[in-house]
Amino acid sequence: MKLRLNRAVVVTSVGALLAAGIPLATLSTTSAAATKKPTYTIGVQGPFSGSDANYGDYIIGGVELAINTANASGKYKFTLKAEKFDDQGSPTLSPAAAQRATGTKNLVAVVGPAFSGASEAAAPYYKKAHIAEVSASATAVALASGSASNFMRTIADDSVQGKADADYLVKVKDVKNLLVISDASFYGDGLATVVAADAKALGATVTTQQIPNVNTGGGGTTTEYAPAATAIATAAPGAIFYGGYSPDFGLLLSALSGAGYTASAHVIMSGDGSNSPALITSTSPASAANGVFLSEGAAGKVNFFSGKLATAYFKLTKIKASVALYAAQAYDATNAIIAALVKTKAPKTVSTQLREQVVANLHKVNFKGITGTIAFAGDGDLKNDTGTSAISEVENGTITFLVNQG
Amino acid sequence: MGFEHFWLSGFHQIHVAFWTYFAVGLQNGAVYAMIAVGYTLVYGVLGLINFAHGEVFMCGGFAGVFLTRGVLGERVGSGWGSIGLILAGILIGGLVSALVAMGVERVAYRPLRRRHAPKLAFLISAIGASYFLQTLAGKEFGYGVNIFPGQVFEPGQVAFTMFGTPIHTLTIVSIIAAIVMLVVADRIVRATRLGRGIRAVSQDAETSSLMGVNIDRTITITFILGGALAGAAGFLYSLQSGIVQNAGTEIGIYAFTAAVLGGIGNLRGAALGGLLIGLFGSFSVPFAFEGNVQWTEIYTFLILVFVLIIRPTGILGEKSGRTA
Repeated sequence: MKLRLNRAVVVTSVGALLAAGIPLATLSTTSAAATKKPTYTIGVQGPFSGSDANYGDYIIGGVELAINTANASGKYKFTLKAEKFDDQGSPTLSPAAAQRATGTKNLVAVVGPAFSGASEAAAPYYKKAHIAEVSASATAVALASGSASNFMRTIADDSVQGKADADYLVKVKDVKNLLVISDASFYGDGLATVVAADAKALGATVTTQQIPNVNTGGGGTTTEYAPAATAIATAAPGAIFYGGYSPDFGLLLSALSGAGYTASAHVIMSGDGSNSPALITSTSPASAANGVFLSEGAAGKVNFFSGKLATAYFKLTKIKASVALYAAQAYDATNAIIAALVKTKAPKTVSTQLREQVVANLHKVNFKGITGTIAFAGDGDLKNDTGTSAISEVENGTITFLVNQG
Repeated sequence: MGFEHFWLSGFHQIHVAFWTYFAVGLQNGAVYAMIAVGYTLVYGVLGLINFAHGEVFMCGGFAGVFLTRGVLGERVGSGWGSIGLILAGILIGGLVSALVAMGVERVAYRPLRRRHAPKLAFLISAIGASYFLQTLAGKEFGYGVNIFPGQVFEPGQVAFTMFGTPIHTLTIVSIIAAIVMLVVADRIVRATRLGRGIRAVSQDAETSSLMGVNIDRTITITFILGGALAGAAGFLYSLQSGIVQNAGTEIGIYAFTAAVLGGIGNLRGAALGGLLIGLFGSFSVPFAFEGNVQWTEIYTFLILVFVLIIRPTGILGEKSGRTA
């Protein structure tokens, strides 16, 4: 009876708080006080400020949606809350964010890091603290390795995305002569390498080039884009693939259009790092982004939230579920962590032992998430990569889903 | 790719697109030159490198960006409107940067000068000022977010065709603005009473103060002059690349290099050095190994080292510490 009453109170207050637009972190503390269950923190490491902050917002929305559902259900012996650890997506800032996370008292596991380079830089800290990191978006192939890894991800890696991109360029767009540009970041270089190798294997002539990025700690200089674009426009490859992130891809597109090389006359494509509305605002004129193809590392479509979930996500974040890249993967990652926690004794305080148990249990989870079956191989990759990648195109300043490329 | 083929393809690229590389190089060089003058003038009067000068440039860029966005919104400027906006952007960018430079001098340098602090102390406080401005801009406008100005003229607008190569309006605007402002700055330093003060202080501060030169005022004016040029450069730069909170660091290093290449302390040297660095950077892109654009920086700095070995005072520098 008492329990039911509390549930009712909690559910009503959830509704009231949601309506009032109060951030959800406060919510879980309310219910914790009411039930005296232990409160566990799920850390979310990713960019929450800087030019890629939108990715962090998409992801934490998915995490909070899963946490709220779990807390409101009342069937668990613990209460959860999410806490942000901002790394701006940068490998340089990532170790500090990881150290803040590992030093957080009741932290049981982390969703993230969001970016591959940041994940690479954070890995030693989480490994040492035996904390599970379940990334919703870090796709660099090299991140998953070993067995019983504490790094896992709910998204297919770049070998899947890169292959799909190469297939789309060579088979669908009939590209014969491809220039693959890397931004020299851990993620961009990895994806570019896969695309170059796969396109070559499909018979295209591939040239590679590196333009170190300016905005993700690559040490490049903005004034280098104009002469580089001149060189590209002179060589006039049939198509360009860019491995890198939207702020720098925007600068490159601006310079290319200035040099007379446009997506309307040629094929220009990039991966999930550039697949964000921020690409359009990073490009001047914004119309220079029109016609650019963008892929996503996910198996399936741009977003998996539909019906009630999509509505709940929008209510929570004020972000349309259809643009919230990785939100669904973050939702599944959070549910995987919850599933792993359920199998523990849910002690009052978080110890290394509990964290280790979470890692071990995560390797045993097997459930039907909204993005597909969530079960991790020893190296942390999904056991079941369906091997497709969502291809979109920028049409009049809007990223529009085109097709699933397998 | 074979080595021989690599060089051939580099020369082939230049053969095909010589004038485009030339124009892009001059456009970048014009911006470097205008910033370099600020480094060189301050070096002349204070004998130290103003490490916050890159951030002074960045502030002017933001001022110009917000002005053009405010006026134009989503519209694209044309005709007299474009010309007016360019002049206004240069003016506002220059004004804001001049004020920032003046502030930096007041807060970061003057108190140290009063107390006869060692040179190292100036260096540290300059770095502090630089971080302060960069972080402030990051807090206000976002870290690593490129903000583009309103479209002052049609993007990619071609002014005329030279030897079959389309030359962009932006290139012409940048070069003309740089030439006009550099000539004006040169005249101020060489032919006015004010400039005589600057030159006197840079030769011998103590003696010039005995001769009736107001040192504080001269130094302030030097910062204002250098700041105004950097701010105008910030606006012109933003038309091409947008402006971002850390733009001052990367561009500042190039401009500082330009000042050293031309002969630090020498205004005309700084202008020449800026143009040369811009051209080196542009023409070395086709020779980047495996297309890695960062090779251009290696080439540029190799050339710098060679020039300095042959002429340690820089191309036009006679002896360090002279502004002339």
